[in-house]
Amino acid sequence: MLDGILTGLSTAVTPINLLMVFVGCFAGTFIGMLPGLGPISAIALMIPITYGFDPSTGMILMAGVYYGAIFGGSTSSILINAPGVAGTVATAFDGYPLAKQGHAGKALAIAAYSSFSGGTIAAIFLLIAAPALASVALSFQSADYFALMILGLTAVSAFAGKGKFLIAILMTMLGLMLSTIGQDQSGIQRFTFGVIDLIDGLSFLLLAMATFALSEALMVVLKPEETSKEAEKATKGDLGSMKLTKEEVMDLAPVVARSSVLGFFIGVLPGAGATIASFLAYGMERNFASAKEKLKFGKGSLRGLAAPETANNAASSGSFVPLLTLGIPGSGTTAVMLGALISYGVQPGPRLFVENPAVFWSVIISMYIGNIILLVLNLPLIPYIARLLALPKQILTPMILFFSLIGVYLVSANTIDIQIMVLVAIIAIFLRLIDFPLAPMLLGFILGGLMEDNLRRALDIYDGELSFMWERPLTASILSITAVILLAPMIKGLLDIRRNKALKINDGEG
Amino acid sequence: MTLTKEKAGALCFLVVAIAYGFMIGDIPSLPSDKFAPMTASTLPTALAWITGTLAFLLLIIPQRGETDDFLSVFKGLNWGRTFTLLALMVAYGASFNWLGFVLATIFFLTASVYVLGERRWRVILLTSIPVTLVFWFILTKLLEITLREGELYFAVIKLLGLN
Repeated sequence: MLDGILTGLSTAVTPINLLMVFVGCFAGTFIGMLPGLGPISAIALMIPITYGFDPSTGMILMAGVYYGAIFGGSTSSILINAPGVAGTVATAFDGYPLAKQGHAGKALAIAAYSSFSGGTIAAIFLLIAAPALASVALSFQSADYFALMILGLTAVSAFAGKGKFLIAILMTMLGLMLSTIGQDQSGIQRFTFGVIDLIDGLSFLLLAMATFALSEALMVVLKPEETSKEAEKATKGDLGSMKLTKEEVMDLAPVVARSSVLGFFIGVLPGAGATIASFLAYGMERNFASAKEKLKFGKGSLRGLAAPETANNAASSGSFVPLLTLGIPGSGTTAVMLGALISYGVQPGPRLFVENPAVFWSVIISMYIGNIILLVLNLPLIPYIARLLALPKQILTPMILFFSLIGVYLVSANTIDIQIMVLVAIIAIFLRLIDFPLAPMLLGFILGGLMEDNLRRALDIYDGELSFMWERPLTASILSITAVILLAPMIKGLLDIRRNKALKINDGEG
Repeated sequence: MTLTKEKAGALCFLVVAIAYGFMIGDIPSLPSDKFAPMTASTLPTALAWITGTLAFLLLIIPQRGETDDFLSVFKGLNWGRTFTLLALMVAYGASFNWLGFVLATIFFLTASVYVLGERRWRVILLTSIPVTLVFWFILTKLLEITLREGELYFAVIKLLGLN
């Protein structure tokens, strides 16, 4: 492990990688701050740039963008009550009231310290957990991977929200269907309609850019939000003191410790992520709070701000565990990173730890550097960074559209891709309007090919029998967990319907 | 009876699953497929059936809670600007080979900023031209990526007798 840490350290501290951590954190903070644009878009916009780099540098840049975007989202949550990222919605609950009370500086400082602590503590856990899990995962076979992918896809749908399970599963299926376009392993063309451009299948970058960066930017035009006055006030006004008293630090320390642990473990779970972690941490702290402190929640509680801010950054680091050790992304954001890794020619999974130790370790080590840079970058620069919120949308939106289009064009050098992107963006806008989540689709698309390969291999090994699903204890265990995740929301839904019916009958009788 | 957005989505998915299922018939098979445990059509067939079944389930199970009517979600939105931007993107892609990167990008950015409501030409041009030129410089001079000059460029060169 020490060798690995040293390898990672020597890779992470090269000038280009240090520069990429800095660029990633800065770009992520900026993009994350823009309401409407999330970390998936931020990372997708960076992918074309990373194609010229070696995989370690590319991953370091994308990891920096990820936690930068989560932090950037908190700035807009606190200052203008418009979270740029879903993971920072809970931050606005107490952060915005604090800003309205004239303590914007203090709220932003707490967000910066909490993010730093959460990210750093989670990176320590990652350093211990990732190699341990990767060593265990080396004994995994194709059957286990197939089961793990099913689990990942199911879990993402299970966390999609109340009443959204079936919809999320349908979106995953759409992603899987899209992944079957192009040549299969035996060289047979599927769903190409004779179009040469489709033989290699749909481009992952095109799909990610069109469904996230492009459609998110267009949604801002389609549904404009009136935040300009607030943004102007927040950027011109005095943010107030950024200093914390000793008592406040002592009061927040246990909150940060608890939320870091919770955030990390939630982040490791496939499907859960920064958003769920931040809400759970907020809820947990409210339960732990005294009756007097509980009343402050939602009205400017420092604990209510520190908890979600710590947990969302810890979860971002935690989500790297399944990505780096199993090659299975637990969220839409890490799915995009997996797609990028595959396009660099790096085979993700436990072998990554053995075959590409520089990538594995340098990403982990860069997280420490990234967290320090985020703190150094954000504390003194917050008043200036906040001014970016006042940049007019009529300038920003065309830039995002241009970067999305040209990013895809630069990789393929084919203008047809621009037209396909427009078509996909229109479909994505339709799906967004009817509230069908797009992240499960992207996850399904990225895992589709890998899932089919592993199923094919497992069937070859077991002479075409599906018995591997119950004969291998590990595969059977993973599939059992999947079945529980799959059936729980359905059973709960049926029980809810029955309860509602019973209530209606009672009301009628009453 | 109104159609909710969930049911409308489920209906779309049902149509997609059926169409996808029909197209599986076009996937060619190999002679060795008779003995292979898994062929090129195995996964698509499973996906078509599962998607179709789930979409049908979503369509028939009772709706939980209040939800929006399908058509209401499309009302009151800024469709004009959005479709103009989409048209500009299509035009950008189509004009790329003719005008070349620099001119096509300047036109795209200028038109997009204008469509989004900016009317000060100084701001519009100070945004579109420098961004395009800086980006062009980074790509071609620093990263050494070749960008298409465009047919127009060659036509002008030929006209001026410069080649």
